[in-house]
Amino acid sequence: MTTTTGVPARAGTDVRNINVSQCVAESLRLEMERDDRVVVFGEDVGLQGGVFGSTRGLQKAFGRDRVRDTPISEMAFTGAAVGLAMEGYRPVVEIMFVDFIGVCLEQVYNAAAKIRYMTGGRVGMPMVIKTAGGCIGSAAQHSQCLWGTFAHLPGLQVVAPSSPYDSKGLMAAAVRSDDPVVFIEHKGLLLQKAGTFTHGAQVPKESYTVPLGQASVVRPGSDLTLVTISATVGESLHAAEELAGEGVDVEVIDLRSVVPLDLDTVCASVARTGRLLVVDEDYLGFGLSGEVVTGVIERLGTRALSQVARHGTPDVPVPAALSLEQAVVPRRASIAQAVRDMGRAS
Amino acid sequence: MDGPTLVARYTEMVRMRRFEEACLEGVPTREIHGELHTGIGQEAVAAGLIGTLRDDDALVSTHRSHLHALAKGVPARPMLAEIYERATGLCGGHGGHMHLFDLERRFSTTGIVGATLPVALGHAWAAQMEGRDSVAVGVTGDGGANTGGFHESLNMAGAWNLPLVVLIENNEWAISVPFTESTSTATLAERAAAYGAWGKRVDGLDVEAVAEAFAEAVAHARAGNGPAVLEATCYRFRGHFEGDLDLYRPAGEKDRRRQEHDPLPLTRARILERGAATEAQLDAAEAAVTAGIAADLAAVRADPMPDPATARDHVFAKGPSA
Ligand SMILES: Cc1ncc(C[n+]2csc(CCOP(=O)(O)OP(=O)(O)O)c2C)c(N)n1
Repeated sequence: MTTTTGVPARAGTDVRNINVSQCVAESLRLEMERDDRVVVFGEDVGLQGGVFGSTRGLQKAFGRDRVRDTPISEMAFTGAAVGLAMEGYRPVVEIMFVDFIGVCLEQVYNAAAKIRYMTGGRVGMPMVIKTAGGCIGSAAQHSQCLWGTFAHLPGLQVVAPSSPYDSKGLMAAAVRSDDPVVFIEHKGLLLQKAGTFTHGAQVPKESYTVPLGQASVVRPGSDLTLVTISATVGESLHAAEELAGEGVDVEVIDLRSVVPLDLDTVCASVARTGRLLVVDEDYLGFGLSGEVVTGVIERLGTRALSQVARHGTPDVPVPAALSLEQAVVPRRASIAQAVRDMGRAS
Repeated sequence: MDGPTLVARYTEMVRMRRFEEACLEGVPTREIHGELHTGIGQEAVAAGLIGTLRDDDALVSTHRSHLHALAKGVPARPMLAEIYERATGLCGGHGGHMHLFDLERRFSTTGIVGATLPVALGHAWAAQMEGRDSVAVGVTGDGGANTGGFHESLNMAGAWNLPLVVLIENNEWAISVPFTESTSTATLAERAAAYGAWGKRVDGLDVEAVAEAFAEAVAHARAGNGPAVLEATCYRFRGHFEGDLDLYRPAGEKDRRRQEHDPLPLTRARILERGAATEAQLDAAEAAVTAGIAADLAAVRADPMPDPATARDHVFAKGPSA
């Protein structure tokens, strides 16, 4: 097993022409080859290979016993994953969109998340809930991130990759984890080709893991620490390039997971820059941004920070009309503006 | 049988088809975002509802809801405007094509599969408490019939004798998963017995058969006899949503169904065979509804986009949020 951190794409190097969903499928295939207790199931994951293709080819390779299409019965099949895990399997269960998890939340936060604790540590729960989140112009019931929701529930690890490299490596780590992992792909990134990423574009063919709970500094900078996750990592990198032209040097940190939250990496950066901006595509209130800011202040004290700000989706459902969505969801232009506003306020 | 004539139902089916085609136009132009689901091929089911439901009856529909809305009497113009993300839409652009609401006609939708029935149950409960003879229709696909909400709602409706009518559009597919591989019984109508409900399976390409069976189901519930389950068999002509490559269904089979089992030509042929109208009369009726939808679309396209300042409205009853 090799453990590395993402290598940024370099022009002219041999970036494989695959998209993020293929990275996920490749990771699952390698894990299934490695461990025959890994099983994959959910709606449309078998014959079709997932609505985004992130389980493509698995049923062909491993058969219907290990890769299975389910009825639209999330409560039953997510609960079944809990039972299978107790039987020694390592189920990867797909909830097509994270927005649909409401119908089986009981199985997630009472069953999957709490069994290890309630049994005094005697029963493990090595399952992955693989799902897709993110705002993609699909309105209130199909455009949520919800990682803050899961993070609030003790016992769940919560992962949201931002690049092809991490998508493959974090999925491998999630499958190998002995704890339940909610793995939230981004709907807007899954069909994006590796070559279009400005970070983590090179994806080795062989198996590797990216450890859960380790943030990555995707762009070093000296003026301000920008902390984010999932698709807004790429958006923030674009914003940072634009700001560099205006003389502001932004350090961009990709958290990669919300639970565990890597505050060490964040604090090391903030201790240098003294300024913190958290960018979150998830709802702003009671979520990731508040957690990061509070965690940094608790560790470094208020005097270490000359400035702190948050930029997230305000606490409104995501509107249907794209013209309205753009008014509430953080993207590169609004991220750059949030940094400029901090400059103005200092 | 009472209710609209076959010609009137056929004309509605043509209007429904033209409406969905008008929606299709907005996808490549990026006027419509997200996963647009059309009901093309399933018009005879929706048109079979017309004439039986009243404004005080509730209809709760799914992600594939446009045809049910038209059948319930929701006006095409603001509906199309909502789908085209305009300020003049039913919900001011906040809802979108999967989330259409019309309070006056007690019409609502959800994009969450299986979530229609519990809401319909509430409408049915209200009618019973208020001593009204209204019914509530909850629509689901064959896929949605496998959710927990289906069982819980029907059980409650059966136990409490609520006027819930469950309309199942069995188009044989839940995205890529065929009905036969995901459902334990050969039909869904036979489940009715488990809930003490009235149950029937009907050919959903035959608008008259649907109309008759639906009227029966509603009459059963309206008379206070408890829930009813009507399963209408049909076939989805297009991919699950616009952009779906639809490789899971054999192309030959799809073509054959579209050619031989299109409810529009089937219904038209029946009308002509019976001499209920002439070719010329049908052509004229078709032209009129086609022109009507074309005019709606042109008008919608001239409508303003929502003011971005409204994006944060309506989170709560009062006051701005966030
Ligand atoms: C709870 C939930 N699970 C999954 C989905 C994703 N999804 C949307 S439509 C659909 C298939 C529905 O099939 P069916 O009920 O037969 O209706 P049809 O699309 O065939 O009209 C699925 C799986 C969802 N919206 N909600």
